[in-house]
Amino acid sequence: MRRDDELLAAYVDGVSELTADERRHVEELLARDPALRTDEAQTRTLIDQLRSLPPEGTEPDWTAMERAIAGEVGDKVPRPWWRPSWRWLVPASALALAAAVFALWIHAPAPATTPVVATPSDAGAAPIAPPEDELATMPLWLDGEEVEIDLAADELLEVDRALLGEDDGLTPGLLPVDNLAWIDELDVDDIEVAEAWLGRKKG
Amino acid sequence: MDVFAASPSILEPLAHVTAADPDLELAERFREGDRAAFDQLVRRHQKPLWRLVRRYVKRDADAADVTQQAFVRAFKALATFRGAASVRSWLYRIAINCALSWLRDHRREEASEIADDALTATNPAPAQLIAGEDTAALRAAIAQLPPKQKLVLELRVFDDLSFKEVAELAECTENTAKVNFHYAVKKLRELLVGDHDAP
Repeated sequence: MRRDDELLAAYVDGVSELTADERRHVEELLARDPALRTDEAQTRTLIDQLRSLPPEGTEPDWTAMERAIAGEVGDKVPRPWWRPSWRWLVPASALALAAAVFALWIHAPAPATTPVVATPSDAGAAPIAPPEDELATMPLWLDGEEVEIDLAADELLEVDRALLGEDDGLTPGLLPVDNLAWIDELDVDDIEVAEAWLGRKKG
Repeated sequence: MDVFAASPSILEPLAHVTAADPDLELAERFREGDRAAFDQLVRRHQKPLWRLVRRYVKRDADAADVTQQAFVRAFKALATFRGAASVRSWLYRIAINCALSWLRDHRREEASEIADDALTATNPAPAQLIAGEDTAALRAAIAQLPPKQKLVLELRVFDDLSFKEVAELAECTENTAKVNFHYAVKKLRELLVGDHDAP
């Protein structure tokens, strides 16, 4: 528990360093307590005695000490270990960042042509490419040009399955690009169906 | 005490900032590479630093060596001085650390020297004896103070530090420094005149 008079010595020897509240508090105590005023006087006397104490020992030769210190530390001002670094760190970092952005821009991959399929249960996970037999689209050679075909489109079923040789392992209803022999086997009806479909596709 | 344990290289920012530090400009100039600024700091502070060290280290020559060592350490660390405390109290802390480190290394030697000095001291004249008795009694009383109170009293009375700077060095609040100062004075009065009211 703090005593009321414990700032008395600081009041005696440094009243200007007390806060206004501290000063007012001690002055109020002094005004109503004669014993404390006696304490104040004795404290003042003791502090004066302490201040008048001669320093211990015999002082050295200050010029010699200054020379000795100067000789020991040398002429080179030491630098903090981090100071030489950060001076070039900022421009170096900026340069490295610019180089990284440029490299990314140069080597950025083209947009994927094969779509990826994600199911709701895969939300948040990396997309996984579907197996070959589950492709959603497939490029086909039609009328002299490559056309992207939606494998789920019903209109493909209009193509004569017999012409496609389902036993050959081909996807039913598709006209493969790499082997165009089936074209020779198309009859007029097939060609009409195919041309009509192609017309709609180009549309 | 914790204040003695910290080395200058790991000084933490101190609690109070001295608003108008007359040494700060010299520290800034030194940081910018002005070697002569350090010489000015040495000239300004070598005497009070030696007196501070001399209170710990009892031989003049040793005190000079320790003071020199403190300045060498300050030279190496001044470029990293952050200005959280005054340059003066920063230097004082380095000096106290150096003095205590020296005492740890020379504890036996120091005790032996003091005993030898007492045996070979010349007898003072009667007038000196009276004054000397007072001085010796005061010094003996100071030596009996609890460490924190002794530190606060000496920094305040002998080194003329502000309570703010005393608090920085004693690692306490300014108010605690004032209270410690009060109890140090009260304890001295008790030791010197037999006043038993002190806590």
